[in-house]
Amino acid sequence: MHTSVEAVFNEAEKRYLTSDELAVLGQYVDTMPNRLTLYRQLRDREVDLFQAVADQLQREFSQTPETTLEQCVKNGVLALRSCAMAMLMMDDNHLQDRLAWLKQSQQNYQSQDMDATLYRLLDKQLAQMFSGQQVALLQPFLNAIQNALGDRARAIEAAESISVSSLF
Amino acid sequence: MISVADLLVDGRVPGNYFATTAYVKSDLELGLLENRRGNRLLAIPDHFIRSLYAGLDKETGQATRLVLMNCGRWWGKNFYARFCEEVSDYYGIPLADMPMAEFLQCLQQCWVTHGWGLFELDQTYQHRGFLVVKTWHSPFATHAPKMTRPVCFLDAGILAAFFSQLSGRTLGCVQISCESLGADCNRFLIGLPERLQPANEGVDQQVGHEAIMAKITA
Repeated sequence: MHTSVEAVFNEAEKRYLTSDELAVLGQYVDTMPNRLTLYRQLRDREVDLFQAVADQLQREFSQTPETTLEQCVKNGVLALRSCAMAMLMMDDNHLQDRLAWLKQSQQNYQSQDMDATLYRLLDKQLAQMFSGQQVALLQPFLNAIQNALGDRARAIEAAESISVSSLF
Repeated sequence: MISVADLLVDGRVPGNYFATTAYVKSDLELGLLENRRGNRLLAIPDHFIRSLYAGLDKETGQATRLVLMNCGRWWGKNFYARFCEEVSDYYGIPLADMPMAEFLQCLQQCWVTHGWGLFELDQTYQHRGFLVVKTWHSPFATHAPKMTRPVCFLDAGILAAFFSQLSGRTLGCVQISCESLGADCNRFLIGLPERLQPANEGVDQQVGHEAIMAKITA
């Protein structure tokens, strides 16, 4: 995972930065043009991206009321926007804050199944619309989303509950 | 068919209004902590809370409970008004049109961001006319002097005022379990004042929260 650049600055209050820390800054600057391009493309293609996802989601959940599906899509948009910003700033924390909120939203609406499908479809759509390199830039953040809200969230929860109950 | 273009018509998708990085702002030059609307925020150290209880105890003795509860009520009323204004501004819809789940989620986040602990609303007894608010890590439970009764008087006042405003009826609030007494969380029972009498008695007699709930809903 990427280190937050801000954290690097805070660490270096009492001393000059080490070579490793400078390397983080270097990486931040070097990959900035690519990250900016990806960010712009994510912004400009947001509607197309999510329309494709929404259409497929609606097909899979044809019995679900449209308002519920719309809420799910909106949360997906929020998640990806947070991902994009986290990617641009190379800042994990930005995403973590938003994920807690999205997780609570998921519990309120009991939308685990729908969300898992949405994020699966989103992954596929991103792979279709963006290059391998670009997806790689987003991947750590997409993984965080999968772990909190998608398929992997339930696998993790199941694994955790197994280990707790095995204590008794 | 869902139209994503329509969903995102003004480009904004409201998220967590109270996200710490977005909500709490500091101005180093003026030494101010502010929220995102420019209202002043203050960070209160633990000792202040301990002193608050100690000072009140010295000045008012037994009345400490009542003083803190009334303080909570008064503050809670204004907190509700500010909270509603901020939230409906942010979401761009009148409060009446907002789904309750989202409203409560905002309240949860507001509680967390202000450092008051975790907050959950239990609607199990709603059909019987009671709401139960559960909180964890209340600063008052941690720093109030140990008593033989629940100690989160301020919280209780705030919740009474908040939910009274929300429901449009005068509601009371009784704390029926407290972290300071070793409970798993703080539970606040909210309902019409006359129906809370058995709960008050239960707390005075140090009855557990389950027994109190059983009595209240019998």
